[in-house]
Amino acid sequence: MTLPYGAVVLEHFRRPRNQRSLERPSAAHEAFNPMCGDRVRVEVELQAGKIVAAAFTANACAICTASASLLTERVAGMAATEATAIPESAMIVALETEVPKAREACATLPLTALREALRAGS
Amino acid sequence: MADLLEQLAALREHETRVAMATLIGARGGSPRPLGAKLFVGEGGRLLGSVSIGGCVDSRVVEHGERLLKENRAQRVTVTVDDAEAVELGLACGAEFDLLIEPISLNGTDPAIEAYLSAANISRSGKEAFVVTRIAAKGAPARMVTSQPFEATGPDVFVERIPAAETLVLVGGSDVGAGLARLCRGLGLRVVVIDGRERYATRDRFATADEILVGMPSDLARPYFKEGAYVVLVGHEYKYDLPILREALRAPVRYVGMLAGRKRADAVKALLREDGLTDDEIARLHSPIGLDIGGREPEEIALSIAAQLIAVREGKPIAKRG
Repeated sequence: MTLPYGAVVLEHFRRPRNQRSLERPSAAHEAFNPMCGDRVRVEVELQAGKIVAAAFTANACAICTASASLLTERVAGMAATEATAIPESAMIVALETEVPKAREACATLPLTALREALRAGS
Repeated sequence: MADLLEQLAALREHETRVAMATLIGARGGSPRPLGAKLFVGEGGRLLGSVSIGGCVDSRVVEHGERLLKENRAQRVTVTVDDAEAVELGLACGAEFDLLIEPISLNGTDPAIEAYLSAANISRSGKEAFVVTRIAAKGAPARMVTSQPFEATGPDVFVERIPAAETLVLVGGSDVGAGLARLCRGLGLRVVVIDGRERYATRDRFATADEILVGMPSDLARPYFKEGAYVVLVGHEYKYDLPILREALRAPVRYVGMLAGRKRADAVKALLREDGLTDDEIARLHSPIGLDIGGREPEEIALSIAAQLIAVREGKPIAKRG
């Protein structure tokens, strides 16, 4: 299967970081795209307002999976408020590839799941 | 059994009474297994068979019509001589024992209730036993149990209804909808799984036993057991890869994925990179289905259903080259 994406997407799709379930998540949320069927569940472990661990499970496309991998790497050790403020555009930039307009929702779906998880866990 | 009972429910729209003939014994070979049923409607409609058509069923129909008029149950033996046997495809003459009894389709009939109960046990994944005590006079008495039961004499007939095997159908596509209809008719318990609510709907999968929407790999995992048929017809690598990584290492009976040869090879290469062995990958049927040349969703569904039967029956044709 040839995927028309850059090295970062391919690396994080084929060897995703933090793709697992946490033993004791403080909060979790599963987000999905009803059109394309992408599903991603983000789990976080919080201590004193700080994300000490983040993990995800996905049945999702390469862009969404890579985005979830990058996001969970990025937010580990970050304050929950800081993580919530990550802009959608940052997720697209982090993929280091041209993301078609129609696929931007795939790139931002993990961030949506993280925000919802943090909102529920706060 | 479950399918026959569903057809019987449809027969209820036209008939109020039927004679139910059950094959309870055979000597000299039988084309149908013991327990096979033929229903003879008071209005003339027929459903099922106790042989492969021919003169045996015709004689059973005659007995059924007679016993409906007499409103009583009877054990009947139908004999086929050597000449007739050749016409029926049997090696030599044979005798068939049948229990024929009038059944009411108005309201609840104890016999139908017993078979419905057994079908429900079977669909829940357990085997069921219908124990029929044949009385010299009067209606037969039945009990249903999920515990193995041995016949205790010539007047006790035990039917074993095996646990229904499960079709785990991932992807609410048109091919999936066609396959769900066919497999329900084959006696499989059909579980439909998709990540998209708009596809996995009751409208599209009217006869499915279960419809599950959520993370497909999580929803499918509990069904990765012996006897399960896992069929991926979503044509979505996002669902295919996570499920295949687990299903190909599970003791399921069959794993198939809808794909052309190029896509199938690409998915197999990714699975190899993920650490699956050649033996595990060789279990995957993809391209899926027997190569009968169809292109329409219903035709592809039929080719997959045919492959599932071939796998169940251990036929070499099941493995596509």
